[in-house]
Amino acid sequence: MTVAVGLHAVTKRFGDVVAVDAVDLEIADGEFFSLLGPSGCGKTTTLRMIAGLEFPTEGSIRIFDEEVALAPPNKRPVNTVFQSYALFPHMTVAENVGFGLAMRKVPDAELRRRVGEAIELVRLGGMENRRPTQLSGGQQQRVALARALVNRPKVLLLDEPLGALDLKLRQAMQVELKDIQREVGITFVYVTHDQEEALTMSDRIGVMDAGRLLQVGTAEDIYERPANRFVADFIGETNFLDGVIVAEGHVEIGAAHTVRARTGAPVGTAVTLMLRPEKIQLHHPDEVVDGRNRLEGTVRHRLYFGDSLYYEIELKSGDTIDVRVENVPSLPRWDPGQRVAVSFHHDAADALTE
Amino acid sequence: MNVPTHAAASRNADRALSVHGVVVFLFLYVPILLLVVFSFSDASNLSVWGGWSLRWYRKMFTNDPLLRSMRNSVVVALVSTGISTVLGTAAALALERYRRWLGKRTFDALLYLPVIIPDVTMGVMLLMWFTTINWSLSLTTIILSHIAFNISFVAIVVRARLANLDPSLEEAAADLYADRWQAFRRVTLPLIMPGIVGGALLALTLSLDDVVITSLVQGPGSTTLPVFVFGLIKRQVTPEINAVSTVMLLASMVLVFGSLAFQREPRAGANPEAP
Ligand SMILES: Nc1ncnc2c1ncn2[C@@H]1O[C@H](COP(=O)(O)OP(=O)(O)OP(=O)(O)O)[C@@H](O)[C@H]1O
Ligand SMILES: [Mg+2]
Repeated sequence: MTVAVGLHAVTKRFGDVVAVDAVDLEIADGEFFSLLGPSGCGKTTTLRMIAGLEFPTEGSIRIFDEEVALAPPNKRPVNTVFQSYALFPHMTVAENVGFGLAMRKVPDAELRRRVGEAIELVRLGGMENRRPTQLSGGQQQRVALARALVNRPKVLLLDEPLGALDLKLRQAMQVELKDIQREVGITFVYVTHDQEEALTMSDRIGVMDAGRLLQVGTAEDIYERPANRFVADFIGETNFLDGVIVAEGHVEIGAAHTVRARTGAPVGTAVTLMLRPEKIQLHHPDEVVDGRNRLEGTVRHRLYFGDSLYYEIELKSGDTIDVRVENVPSLPRWDPGQRVAVSFHHDAADALTE
Repeated sequence: MNVPTHAAASRNADRALSVHGVVVFLFLYVPILLLVVFSFSDASNLSVWGGWSLRWYRKMFTNDPLLRSMRNSVVVALVSTGISTVLGTAAALALERYRRWLGKRTFDALLYLPVIIPDVTMGVMLLMWFTTINWSLSLTTIILSHIAFNISFVAIVVRARLANLDPSLEEAAADLYADRWQAFRRVTLPLIMPGIVGGALLALTLSLDDVVITSLVQGPGSTTLPVFVFGLIKRQVTPEINAVSTVMLLASMVLVFGSLAFQREPRAGANPEAP
């Protein structure tokens, strides 16, 4: 694997605030990599340090094996799509897109050709002479993209590029961005706080919280095998049950049940059992469930979501869990007050230690 | 029930307001009109109308001390405006960029001071300074004084413009391979240009207008036009003063309309569709 961007022990402090805390990260060449996390977790700061708009307090940043931690932005082979687009209001679309090439003294004929190609790539043909203020939000977004891509950077940095667009347009642009990335084949580092966006678009995702990089992996890794409670909670919906390891691979929940779970923790460890709502099944209390964990409880609430139903189940231990059931005719409906059995495969239950 | 009453009341208010508007206009423009009309009077004083003539314009353009003061005014205005525009813009940029600096508030206060303190105080201050360092009064001391008060005005106008500038624009320029100078030249400067021009025009106007400070720091033979006119009025009032004032009025109107046209220009060029 060729490493496009490598961060080693990168820390950024603003006075007392530790915005980025000892981050280690390697992003592969050609990868669509997302940094995901709640507001203020340090995503933008990390991206800005790769761009050179901010310098790390400590640590090293390499872009294709060149140390750039302290290099100014105009000396780095990266370009940025800013969250607010930052289009130059006094220039036309074509002048905006051609700015980087003009700064690098690319000959006129080549500049014009490449600007034309970039404008075609983002499907803005015919708008070359408009000003940014005469464009819609989605069109401005494309100009920002073209303005960065036209320089053929080795790495493209995008800071919540779709944040200002409405849902429909955002979904359309997600697909388009992904297509463009495949077409140009360069590394994308994409900052977002929208987990769905990150899950659907990325090759790999880095989840951040409070300046720290908590987990790096594919969408599946992160959803199915979250490294800790924060990641599990941040991505998708999750049930958490407090428990203790009582035997290898066995967790006792509230002294009422013991279930098998995926864990390597030693006996006696306090753990949080993580269970996704869609991985749980509901049964008649008399039904025998083979090879799966089985708990008993009572239906408290039922919520109708059209394509699915959510049941809130109170377990014998006193814990409540949410269960998501596909809305298909073959499955029975359960009513509040009814006693049910709850089952899940032991692979679907993760015992987290932090 | 009280709707018609209300409507009538608001109609009355409207009428009162429009009458008020007319009165204000008359108050502002009748004296100007009289001034211009009487500059063309053939009579030797302003109490009678002596028929149309260009007599006082002819007299004005053969009045050597007056012409000299006019030339002085233009030189002082242009030179002081040029220098204070550059220095004021630089000050505004420095203030905006180093927002977080400890001394910023102090620097701010210092910048506003020349705007706030009375002209007389400013003039006396400058005069004392020139006397202390033994600098003989001349056109140069007038120019230096005008620069001193104009820097603040330029800086304040430019800063207002800078404050509205998205800081990520310069970052975008840097990200697109512009060095600091190119980012300033190609992005910041064009965007704050209306502020710079506005500041320069304000400086020009203030310099052309100033009587108090100039009269304190002028040297022999270095009078500017407003100071000269002021002296003239004390001796005798003839339509020549009207002629001079009319010329000054015309010049300031050219300045104002010029600046308006300049500030509208960038938007006018923004429209062309397709190549
Ligand atoms: N220039 C700065 N000066 C001081 N503190 C800063 C500065 N920039 C960022 N911070 C702080 O660093 C932390 C991380 O900020 P950052 O902008 O990287 O967050 P983010 O993950 O991008 O959040 P968001 O999703 O809201 O954009 C925050 O606590 C923020 O207040
Ligand atoms: Mg951010």
